[in-house]
Amino acid sequence: MAIIKPEMMKSYIWLETADGSIQQVEQEVAMFCPMICQEVIQKGVGSSKNYAISLPQRVNPAMLSLIFDYCRFHQVPGRSNKERKIYDEKFIRMDTKRLCELTSAADSLQLKPLVDLTSRALARIIEGKTPEEIREIFHLPDDLTEEEKLEPLKNTMDDPRIRLLNRLYAKKRKELKEREKLKSIEVEEHVDERSVDDLLSFINGRDPKVVKTSKSKKKNKKRKEHKNGTSNGTCEASEKDSHNLHSKSQSAEIIDKTASCLGDVSNLLSMEDDIFTPKTEFEDGYIDDEIDPALKEMLDREVEDFARRLNSSWVLSIGQERQPVHFSINGNGTTRRLTGPAAGHK
Amino acid sequence: MNNLPEDCVAIILSLTTPLDVCRSSAVSRIFRSAADSDDVWNHFLPTTDFPAGFAAPAGLPTRKQLFFSLVDNPLLLNDTDLSFSLERKSGNKCYMMAARALSIVWGHDPRYWHWISLPNTRFGEVAELIMVWWLEITGKINITLLSDDTLYAAYLVFKWNPSPYGFRQPVEASLVFLADTDSTDDVQPSMISLMQDPSGDEAQSAELRRDGWYEVELGQFFKRRGDMGEIEMSLKETKRPFEKKGLILYGIEIRPKP
Repeated sequence: MAIIKPEMMKSYIWLETADGSIQQVEQEVAMFCPMICQEVIQKGVGSSKNYAISLPQRVNPAMLSLIFDYCRFHQVPGRSNKERKIYDEKFIRMDTKRLCELTSAADSLQLKPLVDLTSRALARIIEGKTPEEIREIFHLPDDLTEEEKLEPLKNTMDDPRIRLLNRLYAKKRKELKEREKLKSIEVEEHVDERSVDDLLSFINGRDPKVVKTSKSKKKNKKRKEHKNGTSNGTCEASEKDSHNLHSKSQSAEIIDKTASCLGDVSNLLSMEDDIFTPKTEFEDGYIDDEIDPALKEMLDREVEDFARRLNSSWVLSIGQERQPVHFSINGNGTTRRLTGPAAGHK
Repeated sequence: MNNLPEDCVAIILSLTTPLDVCRSSAVSRIFRSAADSDDVWNHFLPTTDFPAGFAAPAGLPTRKQLFFSLVDNPLLLNDTDLSFSLERKSGNKCYMMAARALSIVWGHDPRYWHWISLPNTRFGEVAELIMVWWLEITGKINITLLSDDTLYAAYLVFKWNPSPYGFRQPVEASLVFLADTDSTDDVQPSMISLMQDPSGDEAQSAELRRDGWYEVELGQFFKRRGDMGEIEMSLKETKRPFEKKGLILYGIEIRPKP
């Protein structure tokens, strides 16, 4: 361990930067940097030209001299806080490129007070700037994919559009829920009327009755009720069948047949659900409540409009088919993805 | 800045604001990586001065997620009549005191106020005013709970039942910093209106919030580092000879003024 002898009045530390140049600096100045201090004490180097301390690559001679200016000022114990502050403010005034280099160099020398000072100055520069501006000021590569760039927007979006969109969804969802409640009350009454025959012909032939929207609403509900296997309706229907086809004595066979019949029907029904969904959605929207279809339409349009606008502005000028908005409007639980005209929209 | 290592970038970013950090993640790869790091977000989360009774919700792997969860989902503290959240852009602390945490004169008397539970409110109960002549609502909060060097405002959060009455005229509001020795007798209350005032004549009038409730500012104060004491906010109408009815009180919210 090197002992600093008091008779060495003005001693110097020898340092070598990455480019090979060697210089000497007053000991008290150099020792202000923790990294240099450590090298001297632990390894005993730096006392002569041949044993100069090798500095990290990030420290070039220009930065080194700046750092030492800083150290030379601050290592003097007698200065007041105010003096130091004034010095710091003046010291910091340099272009951003140098500030970065200085931060980097100070960090590698573990000179924390200087790192804090420069970091704060850089933070002040970054605050309030857009990513493009930041890239320009600091000459940074634009190396993120477009998708990665869009991701953080989700968190910063205190966007009134999103809020309004959410509110509209909430409203729509609530209304749909209320309608569901109304529907479930009226459905139970109609379960018995329909027969399997009617259902099949409806499904296969796209019964003209479907066009009459209010009735179709009930029909859809009934299909679903049948699908859920409400025993009353289907049993009765199958009994009707069995009357038509066979005599009562062959009831065992009939039960099997109707069971398979029901199976088929429910398959058809589940298929039909998917095919029919787009149509019924609109019917849901426009006719069902018979209270204020105009309002429903308006809401639908507003919602779609917002989603479109939202999508287009998020996609920016990419022309990419990106759908960040994914939601369910339909109260039945089916999901409909809104695809705005993102491709052509700028 | 190409030669700046990621930890340096992280130090720099932690000296900015949450908003800037989020924006930074769209700058470049190094910035993004630094911007998502726990070191940076730890800086924005209250560390040792987490309010008592706070436990980080389980299942949030990164500090960034914890931060945003605190922004969007106010945490109910122990006794569940104080909620804590963070302001999105700056990370400053926000609190809301439930109606139960306030002292409401005649509030315990079911002839005048009754306590109901409403859906979509974060507290178990809100107070509904049946009828009262002496309207006085006071809340107190310890200033040390708040973030340093921030300008805060206190808002009364409320709405109306179908038949409000007696609130057309402005009422008195005051906000006082009760430091140890200050006398509060000479504080002049300001007049605020609980009605919305589109013409903007009144100094303070009610505004509709995003969540469907109304709010009106009771006062502002600046919290400096090292301030100690309590902030007392109150709403009062005791001078006019008619009754007041129909106010539904959610609580008092304290958040930074933008």
